[in-house]
Amino acid sequence: MTEELRVAVDRRPAGAVLYTKGYINNVGGEEIANRAYELMDDGVRTLLLNLRDTKIVNSIGISILIEIIEKMMDKGGKIAFCNLTPVIHKTFQIMGLANYASIYNDEAEAATTLGL
Amino acid sequence: MTQTADRQLELTLPMVADIEIAAARAAGNLARELGMSPEKIDEMTHAIIEACINAREHSGCADNRMYLRFVGSSLADGTPRIDVWITDHGKGFDLGEARLRRQQQLGTTHKRGWGLQIIEAHMDEVEISSSVQGTTIHMVKYDEKKS
Repeated sequence: MTEELRVAVDRRPAGAVLYTKGYINNVGGEEIANRAYELMDDGVRTLLLNLRDTKIVNSIGISILIEIIEKMMDKGGKIAFCNLTPVIHKTFQIMGLANYASIYNDEAEAATTLGL
Repeated sequence: MTQTADRQLELTLPMVADIEIAAARAAGNLARELGMSPEKIDEMTHAIIEACINAREHSGCADNRMYLRFVGSSLADGTPRIDVWITDHGKGFDLGEARLRRQQQLGTTHKRGWGLQIIEAHMDEVEISSSVQGTTIHMVKYDEKKS
């Protein structure tokens, strides 16, 4: 059984948006991390993860997202999330991710606030 | 409170990558048949995913299987209820030690070991029994009360 995650990247003048589709587990989390680290290496310091097509996450996948946030914070940048389902939002709060990254209702709100 | 058992499902699943999705889908289908709200179903399926991952990653069982039982019922007022049992025949674990580790990581940024907290946050009732013969987690999810 596979629930492969797909990640699409939209580079913008002030940062980038990552669109995820599918299950954020260990494999999906690593896929997001690879894309995020490529962008960071390329100088991106504002990253928005739009989870509009992700309905399922697990704690291992979220732990990888926290690692990405920490690396971005080390570089002086910021990561934000938008379009979370209520249960994903709740799980982010349980694991403390919501303490280190901003969460927006939708991409328009996030883009305006982050200047993307 | 009086309740009536409506539907029951039993699964034996191999401990392979992403098998938790099969378990979550089966429980979700049962919950939808009972009329449970999508948000409550989502919470239940995320708890099941974490319980299956715990069994797969930590049980150390020789038979490489997990055994799931879902029972859907309705309370006297019509509120849907799902009972979930997930059992492995692994080495078991010390629940006291696990709870101590959880207390130590509350409010910190520990990256792993959040499964039990996620399960308890998403389900209404959780009971774990563990011994050297294996572990069973029994979880209950209720829908919103029907008015």
